[in-house]
Amino acid sequence: METTNQPMGTPPDNNLVWAILCTVFCCLPLGIVSIIYASKVKERWAQGDYQGAQEAADDAKKWAIWGAASAVILGILYVLLVVVIGIGGTFAGF
Amino acid sequence: MALLQDSNKYLKIGLILFLGGVFFWLYYNYNPAENSFFIPCPFHYATGLHCPGCGSQRAIHLIFKGDILGGFRFNPLLVLTLPIVIYGLSITILNWVFKTKYRFKLFYSKLFIFGYFGLAILYWVLRNIDSYPFTLLAPSGT
Repeated sequence: METTNQPMGTPPDNNLVWAILCTVFCCLPLGIVSIIYASKVKERWAQGDYQGAQEAADDAKKWAIWGAASAVILGILYVLLVVVIGIGGTFAGF
Repeated sequence: MALLQDSNKYLKIGLILFLGGVFFWLYYNYNPAENSFFIPCPFHYATGLHCPGCGSQRAIHLIFKGDILGGFRFNPLLVLTLPIVIYGLSITILNWVFKTKYRFKLFYSKLFIFGYFGLAILYWVLRNIDSYPFTLLAPSGT
């Protein structure tokens, strides 16, 4: 862990930690998208594309968040499913 | 104006600590294997197969209770990744709180990034193979 001493300064945080968490916990497909964006941050920064590097970092975070959101949405749908089937079952037992 | 922005930040920090506390309280006191209010894995629900995250809630419960080996049996990849994730998260949060710019060099290595990605895919496939030793990768396969 160090601040870089390169003349171009410190690259943006590539948000890889969120990509990893998303991949393992929430949604592997979107997590992978996030990882791919995170991998682009350093090379763009090294090429002098500072804005592109920041965009890649932001995209990495965005997709990790979408992965988490999709997991929450699926979770809500699951709860609804259980509740609906549960209620249906209660009333079906005549 | 600066003071207003500062109190906004303290609010966020408080919220994060509160949510973290709830998370810890929940997973410490309740075993996901025995309580149905935990969210199951959609992939597992739909296909019966294990995704890379399957077993991680039970693993976290056991780790909070101090049983790291037990946690390992439910999701080895998670337990091995945890130190790196905690370290990386700490850096991100401390950077945000103290406005510093420390970077974790490992996270910028393409070898690490794609190595980890490959590992996750491999893990996804291998832990679904129904014979020893791959069953060790499935939740509580030991």
